Amino acid sequence: MAEDVLRLDNLTKSFGNVHALVNASLTLREGEVVALLGDNGAGKSTLIKTISGVHRIDSGQISVRGRPVTIRSPRDAIELGIETIHQDTSLAPDLSIARNLFLGREPVLFGFLGVFAPLDLGELKRSASALLKRVGISKKLDADAPVRTLSGGERQSIAISRAMQFSAKVIILDEPTNNLGVEETHGVLRFVKEVRDAGHSVLFITHNIHHVFQVADRIFVMRRGEVTAELVVAETDLLTVESIITGADMSELMGGARHK
Amino acid sequence: MKSIHWQNALKSPELSSLVILGVITVLFVIGNGEFLSPLNISNLLAFLPELGIIALAMTLLLTAGEFDLSVGAVFALCPVMVALLVQNTGMDFALALLLGFAACVAIGFLNGILVTKVGISSFLVTLSMLLIVRGAALYITQGFPLKSLEIEHVLVTLLSGDFRAGPFRFYASFWWFIGLTLLAIYVLDYSKLGNWISAIGSNRSAAVARGVPADAVKIGLFIATSVLAGLAGTISALRISAASPVAGTGYELEVIAMVVVGGTALNGGRGTVLGTLVGIFLLRVIRNGIVLVGVPGLAYNIFVGAIILAMLVLHALLQKNTRRT
Repeated sequence: MAEDVLRLDNLTKSFGNVHALVNASLTLREGEVVALLGDNGAGKSTLIKTISGVHRIDSGQISVRGRPVTIRSPRDAIELGIETIHQDTSLAPDLSIARNLFLGREPVLFGFLGVFAPLDLGELKRSASALLKRVGISKKLDADAPVRTLSGGERQSIAISRAMQFSAKVIILDEPTNNLGVEETHGVLRFVKEVRDAGHSVLFITHNIHHVFQVADRIFVMRRGEVTAELVVAETDLLTVESIITGADMSELMGGARHK
Repeated sequence: MKSIHWQNALKSPELSSLVILGVITVLFVIGNGEFLSPLNISNLLAFLPELGIIALAMTLLLTAGEFDLSVGAVFALCPVMVALLVQNTGMDFALALLLGFAACVAIGFLNGILVTKVGISSFLVTLSMLLIVRGAALYITQGFPLKSLEIEHVLVTLLSGDFRAGPFRFYASFWWFIGLTLLAIYVLDYSKLGNWISAIGSNRSAAVARGVPADAVKIGLFIATSVLAGLAGTISALRISAASPVAGTGYELEVIAMVVVGGTALNGGRGTVLGTLVGIFLLRVIRNGIVLVGVPGLAYNIFVGAIILAMLVLHALLQKNTRRT
């Protein structure tokens, strides 16, 4: 069995009287796509925010490759190899594709000048073009074009490529197919498979169960701040998953799902 | 192919502003031949850098998504402090200047901390700061302009010395302005910091998620803006040998108008120093030329306002045609 790249044990997080996470646990193995499903308010986005460094957990343990870690800030998460891609918030629309790809890790000349160091514009353009080519989206896109001129699907692909570029071990996709057209959705899903084949682990948050069946290896379902079910995609079906999400009669479903 | 290229170039706000600057200049020359006289050009270039220096800093600050209304008051306070220290305590000019800039740093730092860490909008913070700083300048001078500021010091020559080139008269401020313009272009377009500034103004949370220290960058820009406003005020006071507590009244809005007319977005993300350069010339040329062509003094703000508005409408229309989402 592949190694656990990311392991969450009994995470809890409360905002005042709201218990957003109650003993949430899940595992993510090397080179697999895991889907995180759940209704609105189930705690999916809180869970993601604790891993990406936006919220700090109240208790529980996060481990990366078997090593317990503390994540205090987005920077900590990135340094641990965890990249989170949100629906709209991951790119700066006024910057070029190349500048977005290397935002925060710009190649510079005369590095001793600190933040005043000149950008290595040639290297920036070369690396960006090479990256776009490697991930197979270079045909239409110019690395100097501002992100504002791209479609939603293209933006998602750019954000995912950036995470791959910095060899993230774990790529978290927060509702990557929201607001995308059919064609673009297929593009992003295909891209997710390529990311997995390149050896990255993907945690995929979505509302759309159909997308899950196309790309995911395993499914975790959250309800009221808890991870209530873990399913292997190959061994389950759409209806079963749907009823677990909505909390339909659980006893009838025991055959298909291994409950925690 | 070539015509498409030209169409795109004309859609850039810098170039459309430059075209308008050209047209307006030609109209003023037709209206009054004196417009291009050496004396008038010398006057224009004497006054222009003083607002221009503030506009450069404001361009970077606006690109990061914030603005500063206290610059006009700082423009007055810094030279008033320097003059009082030199005249009343006999302090060395260099030390007095250092203390004046230290006050500017403190004002900028306070603006930055209140905006980023306390989370109050820069409009409210810097509006309050405008009142505090202007009030301080009035109180420490008891409301009167100071006595003539005649100081012999190498720094005075460096800041406001003048020289003649043929019939033209240049002040040191012109070279300061050129140097600072080049520096601002370098920082915004070619340095790592510039990439951060644009990213913060364009999408702050994206920048923070990539590890960009957004708050520190903004605080630094507030400090730079205050210090450059203080420098501009000092240069102005030394040029006319007088420090007045009411100098620079209304400059904050004029400077923001220069920056926005040049094509920098008021809500951040897109900044252009070259555009600001055009905006600075445009507003100064309009103010200067409108007097020369005989518009009554009391009416000329009507024209200035109308021309700024027309520019912004033009930019908005051009933007509408290029935006996709």
